[in-house]
Amino acid sequence: MRQEDISEIWFEHEGTPLKWHYPIGLLFDLLASSSALPWNITVHFKGFPEKDLLHCPSKDTIEAHFMSCVKEADALKHKSQVINEMQKKDHKQLWMGLHNDRFDQFWAINRKLMEYPAEESGFRYIPFRIYQTTTERPFIQKLFRPVATDGQLHTLGDLLKEVCPSVIAPEDGERKNQVMIHGIEPMLETPLQWLSEHLSYPDNFLHISIIPQPTD
Amino acid sequence: MEEDEFFGEKTFQHYCAEFIKHSQQIGDGWEWRTSKEALELPLDDSEVTEAAAATEVIKYEYHVLYSCSYQVPVLYFRASFLDGRPLSLKDIWEGVHECYKMRLQQGPWDTITQQEHPILGQPFFVLHPCKTNEFMTPVLKNSRKINRNVNYITSWLSIVGPVVGLNLPLSYARAASQNE
Repeated sequence: MRQEDISEIWFEHEGTPLKWHYPIGLLFDLLASSSALPWNITVHFKGFPEKDLLHCPSKDTIEAHFMSCVKEADALKHKSQVINEMQKKDHKQLWMGLHNDRFDQFWAINRKLMEYPAEESGFRYIPFRIYQTTTERPFIQKLFRPVATDGQLHTLGDLLKEVCPSVIAPEDGERKNQVMIHGIEPMLETPLQWLSEHLSYPDNFLHISIIPQPTD
Repeated sequence: MEEDEFFGEKTFQHYCAEFIKHSQQIGDGWEWRTSKEALELPLDDSEVTEAAAATEVIKYEYHVLYSCSYQVPVLYFRASFLDGRPLSLKDIWEGVHECYKMRLQQGPWDTITQQEHPILGQPFFVLHPCKTNEFMTPVLKNSRKINRNVNYITSWLSIVGPVVGLNLPLSYARAASQNE
């Protein structure tokens, strides 16, 4: 290709432009979970789909987006108190830990975002997003507490029942959908607080995919 | 609804309803749209703007959404030329008045970024909502002190709107103070 024909790079899978601002594992679970690895995607150098994808002019854009998600997660978990108390260098360390794949460096800061006051049983609200390819809306995100008024821990099943009840089929019927996080299907009885602390993505959100049961 | 919510979704809906009432009276084009569980206020607003070399007509679209994470309204917008070409962040930035630029550049949280519209899934520009409480609290405190009725949406939009080319007619403020 000639240099002058090359414009912004973008990626696509079976006709669907891939949103760079979504975690790659989420994209795979949502769009290609039945595919064999390595995941084959198409790289484009022309025809950037302006209506579908955010522009990504530099690495700073990715950092800004990541930090924006972390900040939003903390707004839900701690009314932004923990993230706001951190210094700029702590924010930088979080990003650099992720960027350079340094687990300890990342978790030195992230562990503070996973704490909650001793007198509480969990976060204020759980940061989550539920994705389905069958709906217009890109995702569902609502306020949801990890603990019920009676002190019982809410489960993944409780969340789904409240926020997208159609996903949970009647008990006697076959489940039409898989509920997937990081490529696995956690039991619906799993406490949401536990999932939030241990199965969140680096941006501190639980990204949950609802996909039709595989037909093999 | 939570008792301790600073600005809950129901309150947002109430102020938007009042806002729409006035909009319909003066015919400036705001609509209320609900899509299952989402609430938003989109406006189609055509404006004429001068670009560097030629006179171009730019069409702006503004949406007011409610952020449950920050419990404040958020302004989403996009702009395109009449032939459908979208404006880039650079173009948008060039249209921001100098007096706002410095304030916006002070931090990534105060700036205009491109984000995915949470209902439409398409790229829009957004003014980050995390500082909204900071500037709205004194406005609300003050109006309570002088016993004046304030529509949160009207006040908020009159503050953030002009930064991105959206100017509310003064009649909105008069309508708000007349409401019970």
